[in-house]
Amino acid sequence: MENTKDILLDWRLHASVLVITIIAEAIGVIAVPIGIGSILLLPLLYAFVMGLAINPNVMRKAGAWLGQREVKAASPLIVIAIMPFIAKFGTIIGPSMEQIIAAGPALILQELGNLGTIVLAFPVAVLLLGMGREAIGACFSVAREPNIAIIADKYGLKSPEGAGVMGVYVIGTLFGTFIFAILASLLATAGIFSIEALAMACGIGSGSMMAACSGALAHAVPEMEGQILALAGASNVLTYATGLYLCIFVALPVTEKLYDLLGRKQPAAANTGE
Amino acid sequence: MSNADIPVDHEAETRPDLFQHALLLIAVCVIALAGNTVATDATVMQGLVGLIILYLIAMAGLVLTRLVPINLPSVAWISLIGIVVTLPWTPGSGWLLERVAHVNFLTLATPCLAYAGIAIARREIEIARASGWKIFIVAVLVMTGTYVGSAFVAELFL
Repeated sequence: MENTKDILLDWRLHASVLVITIIAEAIGVIAVPIGIGSILLLPLLYAFVMGLAINPNVMRKAGAWLGQREVKAASPLIVIAIMPFIAKFGTIIGPSMEQIIAAGPALILQELGNLGTIVLAFPVAVLLLGMGREAIGACFSVAREPNIAIIADKYGLKSPEGAGVMGVYVIGTLFGTFIFAILASLLATAGIFSIEALAMACGIGSGSMMAACSGALAHAVPEMEGQILALAGASNVLTYATGLYLCIFVALPVTEKLYDLLGRKQPAAANTGE
Repeated sequence: MSNADIPVDHEAETRPDLFQHALLLIAVCVIALAGNTVATDATVMQGLVGLIILYLIAMAGLVLTRLVPINLPSVAWISLIGIVVTLPWTPGSGWLLERVAHVNFLTLATPCLAYAGIAIARREIEIARASGWKIFIVAVLVMTGTYVGSAFVAELFL
């Protein structure tokens, strides 16, 4: 970590974020209607895109304004900038404690639903896309930092499993907020699941994914905003506590077993097929 | 293998010391105040008071992260404090809630995502390029599967 003086010298970074925030909030939420529902574009999504647009690693020309030094300094600020948001979330959960306790069993058990990634993504990765052991790292979890630590510990990050988890991690970092915002707004307007269930499911990823997801839900169903945020926040807190264990003791072993089942036939089939 | 390969836990790890945190949090809150003033009908004064309360909750969480020997990320402590001070049976919770109500929760996430966009490193872009379209499809399915799976199980037990 740089020293305190250095941090304050990163004024270009903070000034950029200030301007981006003001522009993003001035634009506001835009609803784009599509066939089965509508997709909500949120200020936080514009902010991310504008951040990318002035990132010298993405846009060469941006190098005139921000350098690698600011890029490096921005990293610890992600977690600091999410803190007031998390504090606000706490103040939404607190007053709704009775509702959350009432939803307790669903809230705890929905963590098991995280195994849905294995059901949906793993067969596609192995059978349709012909991926090897990368599929284990890619599909066993939603690939946030704790999940990477599990794979790094068990296989090492230079392994195929490590490549898989890093790939999904990076795509999640780049597109996760968009994907969750789109999923939540589509499902909220499609009416397949109840809003409470969708709100609880918002708690699975990182803080920014939860923000995009619950924000999209709350805008789709404004009259339930308080309840949506409380359930999403409570589910996110639970994920800190239980997510890691579910991954180590259930998700990863199950994915391994499935790979033995599906993956063994796969190379032979691919050889004869092509 | 070296630990340097493990990406920094952007959203759960704390690197800077407490004093630096206190300073950077002020910068973040000033940005959030500007955003809140643009996004909502709240006055600058209302937003300021709300953000000062949220700032104090965040700082209390950071202090607890250092004092308590349980290994929980600071965001977990911050949300726990936010919950405890606004429980219906906590004295003064009504007063606090009225003040923080002027701060829009979604606006608070906007500066964070701006920093996240700027923080994308060359290495991350290289990984995305090298992994190609297959990993993109898989990643979309991973997130969809996790989300729909959780919603499905929650639906069953509601």
